[in-house]
Amino acid sequence: MYPEALNDLIELFEHLPEQERRENLVTLSDSAKRCEPKEGETFDLEDVRKDEECTDTVGIFLRVGEDDKAHFAVTLGPAVQTLTKAMTSILCRGLNNTKLQDVLDVPADFVPRIVGAELVRLRSQTVYYVLSRMKTAVKMFMDRRRAGI
Amino acid sequence: MNPKFSAYAHPDALVDTDWLAAHLTDSDIRIVESNEDLLLYDTGHIPGAVHIDWRRDLNDETVRDYVGTEGFSALCRKNGITPETTVIFYGDKSNWWACYAFWVFQLFGHTKAKMLDGGRAKWTAEEKPLTREVPKHAETSYPVPAERNDSAFRAYQGQTLEHMLAKKPMVDVRSPKEFSGETTHMPEYPQEGVLRGGHIPGAKSCPWATAANADGTFKSADELKQIYSVNLGFQKDDDIIAYCRIGERSSHTWFVLKYLLGYEKVRNYDGSWTEWGNMVRTPVEKSFN
Repeated sequence: MYPEALNDLIELFEHLPEQERRENLVTLSDSAKRCEPKEGETFDLEDVRKDEECTDTVGIFLRVGEDDKAHFAVTLGPAVQTLTKAMTSILCRGLNNTKLQDVLDVPADFVPRIVGAELVRLRSQTVYYVLSRMKTAVKMFMDRRRAGI
Repeated sequence: MNPKFSAYAHPDALVDTDWLAAHLTDSDIRIVESNEDLLLYDTGHIPGAVHIDWRRDLNDETVRDYVGTEGFSALCRKNGITPETTVIFYGDKSNWWACYAFWVFQLFGHTKAKMLDGGRAKWTAEEKPLTREVPKHAETSYPVPAERNDSAFRAYQGQTLEHMLAKKPMVDVRSPKEFSGETTHMPEYPQEGVLRGGHIPGAKSCPWATAANADGTFKSADELKQIYSVNLGFQKDDDIIAYCRIGERSSHTWFVLKYLLGYEKVRNYDGSWTEWGNMVRTPVEKSFN
C-alpha cells in the first residue's frame, strides 16, 4: 500500500510517545534544507509556485530515473510551517526511488499516523500540501510524456 | 521606555525586544509563547518562555468555548504564574495568537499582562537568543478566579446580532476578499468550514494587518488614530465589536483598539465568521457578485 521506505517511517512514528514524536518531527524539519536541489543537479520537471493553500512558496523538482522511479527535491519558503517542513523530509525519504504510478497511488491517510492527532488541525492542514504537490508534479510529467512534449 | 510606546493610551501594555532581552531572568515575569505553527516553540524559543497553545490550553476540548476558571487556574499554576506575575506574550504571525492568549487572560482578570512588540519575528530578526531547553518553573499557587468575565471582553452571536441591528460600530478584520464574499477562506489557508461568504451587515472592513508594520510591530499611535479614528470614524465612547474567522486576527485589532488607542468598550466576537457564516437565516451582506 505504501512504498517501503515510507511505511518504515509510518511504523516508527506511530509507536512513538508524544514528546518523542514531536522531537523527531522538529529534527526532521531541521533537515528539510537537505531536500533542496544540489548544485548542478538537473530535473525533468520543476514546479515552483506560491499557492493560496500554503503560507509560502514551495518548489517541487522531479527527476525520473530508470524503471520510472521518481527522485524529488523540494525548496520551501521561510514562512512554511514547521510541520510542513518535517513532512517534506519524510516524503523525500519515503518516496524517493518509488515508481511514478506508486507515488500517485499513495493515500494521504498516513499523515495523522505520523504527526499524531494532537497536531492535525485545521490550521496545520498544509501538512498535506507537499504530498499533493509531489503528485501533481508526477501527473504533469506523465501527461507531458504521453503527449510527447 | 521605548519612545514609540509613550504615545499609546496604555504604554505599559507593551515591552520591546531590548527590554525583554535585559529582563529574561526577572522573577516576577513569565514569558509566554503562543503560535499558529504548532511546533515552532519546539524549534527554539526565548529563554525561560513557556508554551501556551491556544487550542490545547485555552479552549474547552468539547464545547466551542474557553476553559473555565478551574482550568485557567490550573494552567497558570502549571506554568509558574501567580496573580502577581507579569505575563509577557509573544508569538508568530505578528502576534495573532499572543494577542488571543492575552485576551483570554483578560477574561479571567489577569491584568498584569503585556505584549512583546514585534513578537517572535522581530526577536529572531535581531538574532536575540533562542533555546530548545524547556524551562521547569516550580508550580505556583493561583486561586481559582471568581468568574470568567466574558461580558466586558467577548461578544456572543446574539449580542453581535443586536449590535448590528442597533447599527453600532463593528470592524471586520479579515482580508478584503473574505469581506466581499469573493472567497470563504483567508489567503494562504484552507477553507475552515463556512457555508456562506460575505460580512455582517454594517461592518466596516479594516484588515488586521493595517495596524502592523512589516516587521510585525504595531504602527505608531498617530498612524493608528488615522486608521481607526479618522478613516473608520470610531469615537472614544463607541461600543465596538471586532471579528474575523475564529477570533485570533480580531484579538490583534481588539488589543490595538483597547490598549494602544484607549477605546473603553471593545469586544471580540470570537465565534466570528465560522459561526456567523453558518447560522441559519442570519443576515449576510456581500459586495462581490
